[in-house]
Amino acid sequence: MTTETSSPQARPVVEVSRLRAYYQTQQFGVQRDVRAVDDVSLKVMPDEIYGLAGESSCGKSTLIKTIAGAIRPPLKVQGGSVVFNFGGRDLNLYQSGPEALDAIRWKHLSYVMQGSMGVLNPVRRVKHSFVDFAYRHIGKPMPEFMEVVRHHLGRVHLGSEVLQAYPHELSGGMRQRLAIALATVCKPELIIADEPTTALDVIVQKGVLGMIREVQRELKTSMIFVTHDMAVHAHLCDRLGVMYAGRLIEEGATRDIFSRPRHPYTTHLIASLPRIGSTVSVKALEGAPPNLADPPKGCRFHPRCPLAMDICKQQTPAFAEVAPGHRVACFAVNPVAVAAPLEATT
Amino acid sequence: MLKIIRDLLLHNRGFAAGVFLLGFVLVIAALSFVSPYNPLDSYVVPPDMPPGWPHILGTTSRGQDVFWMLSFAIRNTLAFGLLVALISRVLSLVIGLVAGYAGGWVDRVLMSINDTFIVIPLFPILVLFYFVMRDKMSWAALAGVMACLGWAYDARLIRSVAMSLRTREFTETSIFSGMSMPQILVKEHLPYVMPIVFSTTMNNINWSIGLEVTLSVLGFTDINTPTIGSMIYWANQHTAMVAGVWWWIAFPVALVIMTFIGLFLLAVSMNEFIDPRSRLGRGGE
Amino acid sequence: MTATLLELRNVVRTYSKGGLFGKSARAVDDVSFEVGVNGPEILAIIGESGSGKTTLARMILGTVRASGGSIRFKDIDMAQVKSRSQRMAFMRQVQPIFQNPFEAFNPLKRLDRYLLATARHFADARTDEAAAAASDAALRKVGLSMVEVKGRFPHEMSGGQLQRVAIARALIASPLLLVADEPVSMVDASLRTAIVNLFKKLRDELGVSIIYITHDLATAYSISDRVVIMRRGVVVEAGDARATLDNPQHPYSIELKSAVLSPNMSPEVAPELASAPSLTTYTQE
Repeated sequence: MTTETSSPQARPVVEVSRLRAYYQTQQFGVQRDVRAVDDVSLKVMPDEIYGLAGESSCGKSTLIKTIAGAIRPPLKVQGGSVVFNFGGRDLNLYQSGPEALDAIRWKHLSYVMQGSMGVLNPVRRVKHSFVDFAYRHIGKPMPEFMEVVRHHLGRVHLGSEVLQAYPHELSGGMRQRLAIALATVCKPELIIADEPTTALDVIVQKGVLGMIREVQRELKTSMIFVTHDMAVHAHLCDRLGVMYAGRLIEEGATRDIFSRPRHPYTTHLIASLPRIGSTVSVKALEGAPPNLADPPKGCRFHPRCPLAMDICKQQTPAFAEVAPGHRVACFAVNPVAVAAPLEATT
Repeated sequence: MLKIIRDLLLHNRGFAAGVFLLGFVLVIAALSFVSPYNPLDSYVVPPDMPPGWPHILGTTSRGQDVFWMLSFAIRNTLAFGLLVALISRVLSLVIGLVAGYAGGWVDRVLMSINDTFIVIPLFPILVLFYFVMRDKMSWAALAGVMACLGWAYDARLIRSVAMSLRTREFTETSIFSGMSMPQILVKEHLPYVMPIVFSTTMNNINWSIGLEVTLSVLGFTDINTPTIGSMIYWANQHTAMVAGVWWWIAFPVALVIMTFIGLFLLAVSMNEFIDPRSRLGRGGE
Repeated sequence: MTATLLELRNVVRTYSKGGLFGKSARAVDDVSFEVGVNGPEILAIIGESGSGKTTLARMILGTVRASGGSIRFKDIDMAQVKSRSQRMAFMRQVQPIFQNPFEAFNPLKRLDRYLLATARHFADARTDEAAAAASDAALRKVGLSMVEVKGRFPHEMSGGQLQRVAIARALIASPLLLVADEPVSMVDASLRTAIVNLFKKLRDELGVSIIYITHDLATAYSISDRVVIMRRGVVVEAGDARATLDNPQHPYSIELKSAVLSPNMSPEVAPELASAPSLTTYTQE
């Protein structure tokens, strides 16, 4: 939990500046750019859980793939930067070679992805996955390493008999907790989690979320937690960023966003969450998210926005502060802030 | 459709190369219709002449012009290969789709038949066939027999695609829209199965041509009809290699290799185009 | 006095778990309930993965046969429905809606195909114009129109729109019962309310009963008349929707309700997560 007394000199664990990443497809001589991440800037401070929210095709999965360095053609970074700060040393991801990523991977930066089965080797026992991922980073002799692993498993409420099992012998919830254990065993400074609880049953999800919170509090890791489920964000994240059509449109402390959303899209998202015990229905938003290969000019939400004005169709609103720590990109909220033009494609 | 072919030609080198090679072969086959010599005649030109003018590929020991013989040979060989491929594709499609969709005992019966055909050794059967039929053997009969031996592998492939399609939700939607099984198989499932059919067709043509050449070289077919294999057979009969008449063997072999490569390149490059996953990327065209 | 629309009595579905001695497991174990006793209603079947709710849906739709017990639709035993004409008569009255809107339609085919086919087979449309008109009428009921859908492929539309097209297709047959298996779980949260409210409209204005299968308690609460809560193939609690969900009695139902994260709770109250119940009871299957 970020405390207000954190020193103003605290460097962000990761700083993303004006990042652009497009999928460039070429078929039969016709080039198409799908602008999945278009001018995104954000910072994650130490010891904080940063949530990334948004609906399908808003670009959040592409954004974290880009931050994690998991870029493969046709996805290509067009501009901007991702700078990590681990232990006082800066690392500009896209200006360093693959060895740089290798050095930080798992030791300082780890991931928890949606399908935990994909992480664990299905034909080897669980303990081999730990050895494969973490042994060389922890740098201790094998017996002591296994002791560290067992102790760590206790933190996620798993017994050490799990080490001898094969992944398919465990339930979905246990596998996901294992994935979290794997991601945290080296005590990295930053964990990137992409929908880790989405495929789990509600009851299991509750337990896993509680465990994530516990582990984060104890290890003081930072986390970027991506999910479309706003209720999960409400219960887990310190700060929240909402994405729409490849851009961040609102960002702030979770309680501020839930109690006082500013951007019309965020307002609609939060209002339309079903609550048990309520039979009130909310009017749906017209239309659908834009095609990212050919997005609307100006603010990308304007075709569906109840507050759209002329300027929204021509200019892109800047993502600027409207209250301390609360940024919004909307002309209705911030009439004068216009986004700076993008630099030319590299 | 034409636009797609033009795009493929311009951007896919494999496709362009395949089209070029195959086009070349087809032109030569087409020239057989304007041949000045009847392929069944012999000793119409001076024998054993090396490549030069007017016999650009030389002449055989039997007094035939290699070039014009070749045009007939490749035409017949290609026609044979196509016929076998066509019949066996139809067989494997029908059996594979029905077995995969229907399941249960229908599937079990069809697959038992299928597996029997896979296990049958082709070559001895074909040779046996020749010995039984002897002079009454016709190319059509041979094509029929080969087709019956060539459908089994692909039927299983098609069946597995059909089985996976059966469990997909859009099949349920089609059923609840009232479509009947034949309708579903042809309209909904066939597009997914076509890539397999297409690439296996090319393989099948190559396979049947290869088998035909083998049988003819060994004399197990009607060697009076000019085919690539029979040309080589006659060349061997006249010990062409030893006698130094290399052009009699070299050019048929070269041409049939060109055919194989051309078909292969076409199959590989078209495949990427027809594959449903890449079709989805282009929006279902 | 309307006859009960759907009646399940002691329905069982077993499947074998393999192994030398053929161990079997029950996906659905002795389930009984009724739908539509007093007119059109929305019945929610709530359960998590492994609860058997999807298997139950398939048995009601007739895709899968029950291993034991009976399912009667309008007093006709489902086990007796075998011939094509009987199936067609049944499908005219009972239609499905699937979880994944993108899988519900063949990605390689245009959407209007299914609408027109349903119109021709189940809405007595004799000509193309009649079929198009019937499709347009159904689309209007869900807030779309033929103009928007005609000629489109599934990938050109959003999940929410596709699901509405699926509902429209089901409505063309003028069914008495819709079986919707997790219809909104793959649709964006902001669109869910719209679709779920559509179900309410169908019940109130068109007299369609709906079996709404879900794991989402909130939407079940807002639109259903009655709920059935399932766990591991067994019904643990059933009754009036609001009464049961306001005041669950069975320990599993209580657990389920408390695990639902309400967006009303602010992060300061997060300590409740720290006392998550012991995970061993429900996770070690």
